[in-house]
Amino acid sequence: MICENCKQRPATITVTQMKNGKKVTRHFCDVCNKQLDHFHLNLDSDESPNAMQKLFSNLFGTPSWSVQSVPISNPQTKVPNESCPQCGMTYRKFLEEGKFNCPTCYGTFKEQLPQVLKRLHNGATEHIGKVPGSINESYQMKRQIEALRQDMKLAVDEERFEDAANIRDQVRALEKKLQIGGEEKGEH
Amino acid sequence: MNIEHFLKSKPPIWMRGDIDYGDIVMSTRIRLARNLTGFRFPRAFSDEEALQIDKMVSNALIDGDKKFNIPFSYFSLHEMPALQRQVLVEKHLISPQLANKTKSGSILVSEDETISIMVNEEDHIRIQCLQPGLQLDKAYQIADEVDRLLEDKLPYAFDESFGYLTCCPTNTGTGLRASVMMHLPALTVTNQMGSLINTMARLGMVVRGIYGEGTEAVGNYYQISNQITLGKPEEDIILDLQSVAEQIIQKEIGARRALLEHASIAVSDRLNRSLGVLKYARILSSEEAANCLSNVRLGIDLGLIPTIPDRVLNECMLIMQPGFLQQHAGTTLQPNERDVYRASIIREQLQFNNSDSKQ
Ligand SMILES: [Zn+2]
Ligand SMILES: [Zn+2]
Repeated sequence: MICENCKQRPATITVTQMKNGKKVTRHFCDVCNKQLDHFHLNLDSDESPNAMQKLFSNLFGTPSWSVQSVPISNPQTKVPNESCPQCGMTYRKFLEEGKFNCPTCYGTFKEQLPQVLKRLHNGATEHIGKVPGSINESYQMKRQIEALRQDMKLAVDEERFEDAANIRDQVRALEKKLQIGGEEKGEH
Repeated sequence: MNIEHFLKSKPPIWMRGDIDYGDIVMSTRIRLARNLTGFRFPRAFSDEEALQIDKMVSNALIDGDKKFNIPFSYFSLHEMPALQRQVLVEKHLISPQLANKTKSGSILVSEDETISIMVNEEDHIRIQCLQPGLQLDKAYQIADEVDRLLEDKLPYAFDESFGYLTCCPTNTGTGLRASVMMHLPALTVTNQMGSLINTMARLGMVVRGIYGEGTEAVGNYYQISNQITLGKPEEDIILDLQSVAEQIIQKEIGARRALLEHASIAVSDRLNRSLGVLKYARILSSEEAANCLSNVRLGIDLGLIPTIPDRVLNECMLIMQPGFLQQHAGTTLQPNERDVYRASIIREQLQFNNSDSKQ
């Protein structure tokens, strides 16, 4: 069964409502169900021309044009004009389809994305968690350098100058490695 | 490993019960969505890009260093007959969406079928790990290990603020979907699923029926998974799902106890009738078979029906599906023919087991 709202995703949530004293069963996908829950959309809007557009217009905090037929060109909607350099995706198309066409889309629409992600992910806009190894390596190195600097300071305070010199050499070696790694990455 | 190995009806490891909460939690699944930088997503990519990604991923996994000693088998969906694809879907090794992508999709499976990597589904890479019972930590550890192996060799699309970049913004961030498949007959029969689903939604969890469509789950099997993938580390996503699953288990146990206390004979009658249907029916729709199997499983768990091994019930669950049935029959079957064939196969399974247990 297909979601009654977006007509794209499979329906996974069944909602039973009372309408004019009669029981009505509706089927939505998890995405739409969540949004419908959030915005208390009128669930009886069978006349809605494109439910997905309506959903996404809500997602972006722009006026819902299915109610009063606000055109997409309305200045209030602030749809950026640039398209993605890698795949040609426009922001308007993303609004319609709800999916990206390539990883570069994220960079292209990075100004608009936090408000989209916020609605989908319970207010979150920033990734916390796993980082791929290659990126993680430089991050780890920076932390290692920080820790060594602390050790060095301690060694100096305790007048273990030979130790301090050794640690300083380690720090320099790491800094050099980090710099080379960074340059290599920058070339991509 | 040839494809026949993966088409057998013997339930894979992850479907064997008898593990932590195995009577209520059937299985655990972890899925990681990953993409390669420099390529368009499958919904927009060219055939050339598809081919290149396919090669890159399979090379990384198969010809990769020996450090990772799980052998993977590679299958292109392009060369696979429709019936085989359906069987892989019914075994949860691939998604229905991938099964339809005969042009660009492929799959890499571990021999024991607990790890599968879907290539060019909605995202370039979807790592999936299945485990029996409630084993979120273990399943995540394995998926994470495969992910680390791949990230060493492949240029993942990753952004420091958005995390792993996925085709759908609902997966952005960790790209992690953790889910548990639960058998909740007592909560279903006592009409508690509706309010549970609402509570789950507020906790950022999604509830789906496994067999059949929508949440009116056939056979009382439900899949519960996290909705949010951004702003929460993997460990927290898994911990939250774990605690939600444990709470649902306690609720189901409570509901089962109440059923027994208030209507023991009526419940026993109903569950044993289901066993009768499975043993003697001559026509069985998949809905009826799933519901009866659910009842029999509950009856065994409640001690109202003599034990039938999980292995037998799981095999029935697998083989009663349309793809498996037709494969077993070795021919295409019309829906009404399937119902007859399904009844005979299940009858055989249960009768065989019955005479077995008398010895
Ligand atoms: Zn929908
Ligand atoms: Zn793009």
